[in-house]
Amino acid sequence: MKSGLGFVAAVNLIIWAGITLYLIVLDRRLKKLEQRSGMDVHYEK
Amino acid sequence: MIYKILLTIWMNLIIAAVFLYVEPAAGFPGEVSRILFFHVPMAWVATLAFLLSMIASSVYLITRKVNADFLAQSSAELGFLFCFLATVTGSIFAKATWGSFWNWDPRETSIVMLLMIYGAYFVLRSAVPNHEKRRVFAGVYSILAFCTVPFLVFIVPRITSSLHPEDTLNPAGPGMDMKTLIFFLGSLCAYTGLFVWMLRLKVRMLRIMDRERRAFRSNF
Repeated sequence: MKSGLGFVAAVNLIIWAGITLYLIVLDRRLKKLEQRSGMDVHYEK
Repeated sequence: MIYKILLTIWMNLIIAAVFLYVEPAAGFPGEVSRILFFHVPMAWVATLAFLLSMIASSVYLITRKVNADFLAQSSAELGFLFCFLATVTGSIFAKATWGSFWNWDPRETSIVMLLMIYGAYFVLRSAVPNHEKRRVFAGVYSILAFCTVPFLVFIVPRITSSLHPEDTLNPAGPGMDMKTLIFFLGSLCAYTGLFVWMLRLKVRMLRIMDRERRAFRSNF
């Protein structure tokens, strides 16, 4: 394995982890907003 | 929730494998060919998103169901985002391979035209104050805009000579070997899953905003 590829892979994995975390947090906030506004949330599990 | 966890694990595996397991393609300098495991899926997702936007717009124009318009708008936005990312990753590949970020290559030019066409979609949406008219105009525009997609994405780069590579991602030669193909398709699936996840979030956001707007109006 060429040197540097591990570093690039690690950077990509960190970026992906950040994206996933953001989407999960957004998901939870939307769920709270839906519950607060009394929307039917059965379509989204 | 389970599919989100599976998607996260799947994408982690794909990223790790693309950099640490798969061999770089022949005919390209260094490791630059690895970007195509990200660039091509992004372009694929953009095309898929524009197609979905066109279908949802058609559904809206026929049924006048607001959820269809939310889907059309969300798809168009995500399609624009992934199209932009495909342009950026393609530019990085161009710099590494041909020494210049931008060459006004037919493929590069056609993707910029696509970005401008769908950029105009958002300008149109923001320019019409009436919600019902906005949805109708945007729906019609989305259908017309998608008519350009097959031409710009598939036909133009193939009827003109282009720097854009055709056969890539094989360390042995032209075409794609089985190991590379498996991870390429895996990346394609991962990006499609990411698009679905983001799309669902965006549609939910639009539904909440619409509900809050209607509640505000009914209170006054």
